[in-house]
Amino acid sequence: MTTMSNTPPMDPVLVHAYADNELDTTSALGVAREIEASPALRAELARTEALRAALREHVAPEELPVHLRAKIDSTLGLTKAGSHPTWRALAASVVLALAIGSASTWFVTQQPPDDRTTTALVDSHVRALMAAQPADVMSSERHTVKPWFAGRIPVSPVVVDLTSDGFPLIGGRVDVIATAPTPTLVYGRRKHVISVFATPNADGTEGGVRTLPQINGYSVVTWHRGDTSYWAVSDLNAGELQLFAQKFKAAS
Amino acid sequence: MSREEDKARFEDVVMPHLTDAFTLARWISGNRTDAEDILQEACLRAYRGISGFAGGSPRAWVLTVVRNTAYTWLMKHRSPMLVSIEDLSATESAEIELTDGGADATGLTPEAELIAKADAEQLKCAIAAVPLAFRETLVLRDVQGLNYREIADITGVPIGTVMSRLARARRHLFMAIGAKQQ
Repeated sequence: MTTMSNTPPMDPVLVHAYADNELDTTSALGVAREIEASPALRAELARTEALRAALREHVAPEELPVHLRAKIDSTLGLTKAGSHPTWRALAASVVLALAIGSASTWFVTQQPPDDRTTTALVDSHVRALMAAQPADVMSSERHTVKPWFAGRIPVSPVVVDLTSDGFPLIGGRVDVIATAPTPTLVYGRRKHVISVFATPNADGTEGGVRTLPQINGYSVVTWHRGDTSYWAVSDLNAGELQLFAQKFKAAS
Repeated sequence: MSREEDKARFEDVVMPHLTDAFTLARWISGNRTDAEDILQEACLRAYRGISGFAGGSPRAWVLTVVRNTAYTWLMKHRSPMLVSIEDLSATESAEIELTDGGADATGLTPEAELIAKADAEQLKCAIAAVPLAFRETLVLRDVQGLNYREIADITGVPIGTVMSRLARARRHLFMAIGAKQQ
């Protein structure tokens, strides 16, 4: 870390691989640190993410002309060509709608099955994103957010201030995970939202920050602190979410 | 393999990926009309070669066939000079220069804001102007959602080349869209 200023500047191409989630966790973490330290790399990441989002929103896969499909069917004399044209057209449009409707559709087939807790956490995060506000108490002031929980649930989570690390506090909410009311903190990173869930750590294990397999394009990391397990969920890169978790862990 | 088996195989392997195939043809050729020609030709090729499909990703196989067909088509119908000139390796190895885009502490820049506000028309025009080798990489990744490994297989280059082509393609778009305000 201390030798960072002496090392040659990182190849900016890696910022793209990082934004595309194509780096393994260790490399991603290294790249996240480099980005953190360099305004130029941060700007490259911001541009890249803005572009990817704009393309996802505005440039969909092309719609296949119906007459073209018919032409291919008849040229090759495909057996079912005449018999189920409506079904085929319907299937094609469903596939297209899925592809357009959700960028995360692309990832679905790549996901290994994951345990139910993680899936429930991602679901809660996505639900919160669809609400008018991602938090029930909106405040960047941890002295406002922490007492808000006290009146609602028995456990009050540790609330840390990571504004200077580029992760401002947005607020808090209460989620229900596997029938248990769970305190959730909400942090921001540029335009991304991070949900931090705190659940009881039953077996009392400690350890470093672990990156779990992505679910529907959402990154999940987890770590333990005393009798609490923390889970951070976001559409950020796995590396950047790792960085967040380490800063959170260090500050708590 | 019998004709009926070939047909059944074609329906299983190729038909589910026609939209993807058409999208790639459209962005390589630059328009939907030419893409229709290319896709028909590609389907014929795929049909004739279907017994050679050795398993693996059907989508990647179909896109590879479409890409090869598209290049043959371009060489035949457009000036071969134009097709090959675009692929000059000099542009491939040029350094990527970074600017901080006037970043503030959160990393948000006026440039990124501008890119976020770009509309479909602007984006499509900008993509069309990107050199071919970079453009196809960009489309496979950012429009079609393939990963680097798949793109490397389809375009027949190492993953590192996919990575740098993608960065360069996006660089073209940054300059076309993000730099408009100056």
